[in-house]
Amino acid sequence: MSAPLLEKHIIELLQERNEKAISLLYENYSNTLYGVAYKVVKDDALAQDVLQESFVKIWKKADTYDPTKAKLFTWLFRITRNTAIDKLRSGKSKSDKEIQIDVSDVYKLGVEGINPELIDMRENLLKIDLKYQIVLEALFFEGMTQQEASEELDIPLGTIKSRLKIGLRELRKIYGEPTLLLCLTYLIL
Amino acid sequence: MQEKIKIFLDTDLLEKYLLDATTDLETLQVERYIAMYPEVRKTYNELQENLEIFAKSYALKSPEGLKEKILSNIKAQNKSKRKFMNYAIAASFVAIFCAAASYFFYHQNLNLQEENTVVTNQIKLLEEDMKQRLEDVRNQFIVLNNPLTKKYTVTGNKKAKDLKAVAYVNPVKKLSYINVQNLPQLKDDQCLQMWAEVNGKMINLGVIKETNDKDNLMALPYAKNAVGYITIEPKGGNETPTVDNIVANIAY
Repeated sequence: MSAPLLEKHIIELLQERNEKAISLLYENYSNTLYGVAYKVVKDDALAQDVLQESFVKIWKKADTYDPTKAKLFTWLFRITRNTAIDKLRSGKSKSDKEIQIDVSDVYKLGVEGINPELIDMRENLLKIDLKYQIVLEALFFEGMTQQEASEELDIPLGTIKSRLKIGLRELRKIYGEPTLLLCLTYLIL
Repeated sequence: MQEKIKIFLDTDLLEKYLLDATTDLETLQVERYIAMYPEVRKTYNELQENLEIFAKSYALKSPEGLKEKILSNIKAQNKSKRKFMNYAIAASFVAIFCAAASYFFYHQNLNLQEENTVVTNQIKLLEEDMKQRLEDVRNQFIVLNNPLTKKYTVTGNKKAKDLKAVAYVNPVKKLSYINVQNLPQLKDDQCLQMWAEVNGKMINLGVIKETNDKDNLMALPYAKNAVGYITIEPKGGNETPTVDNIVANIAY
């Protein structure tokens, strides 16, 4: 089944409240969503919790999903990312320790704790210039607005905006759909 | 117009919307731009695709067994939801039953209240009637038992030979009664009506009913030199006596 057809099929199953939708979602998106969750919380157990909670939310909110407003993946990403950020914040607020955000640590390309088999592929995947990647990660994974990213990273707002746009464009050039699909197939296998 | 779109695209509203970070007002604005301008729509779709590519570049193999955990969690959720729905349905039935019962009892209560009012009124009427009758009987007793009471036997003339009545008049107590003992045979459309002439005026005393009035004394208005009349009238009684049909008179 092609990607748009599969997406359509999953959406139909979701709207019919058919549990098979969750199974298909998991088969097709769990690796990416788990990667997103891990990128935000940087902890295996927490990332698993996030993924579980996200899937429950996806199931519960299935009837609120409007395909005309967002692609299926965008919707799944939003739920997972927000769940992960909430988890991270609640975890941090529970902690007695004084929190000191080390920007360089937060935004560096963290591959620590990841299965060593994946490191090579990650290196292949992350060919985008670091300066763009930092901005993209800050915005997509850390829940920052452009203004917040500008302040945290000490980069002018205009530069944040242009790096975001260029970064996304570069991403498209480097990780076109065929390459990505190959990589994902490798990941799944 | 192009300028407007350019200004919009230069803000980070579309990116914020992509990540579900816009306020309600911003969401409305962004959705309006996406719907109205193909250029914005195209940018938004590209942004969504880029996000997917970007996110996929961070994909990690999800842990073994997590899928089963998630599926069983969702199954449990559904089961508890179904359970809740069953309870909700049961509760709804109970609520509907209670509402119907309340409605039924409310109406029954209204009916009972109405019935109660009717019964109370009937009792009052009966009470008044009884008082009236008792007063009547008392007066009759006074009249009949009084030595000064005069008794007049009334018989009908040739038009009503069978008519027999007894009148009792007490000038001291100023009470007078008549007891009709026997009624003549009348045509179906006729009746006997009682009148009293008091101070030159004819007063209608009512129709004499065959069955009920035999054992009763009918009160007559008392006046000095009054005259009582019995006339044959059309069934149901008449407003004025038919003089030609006088069958008996009682001067008392």
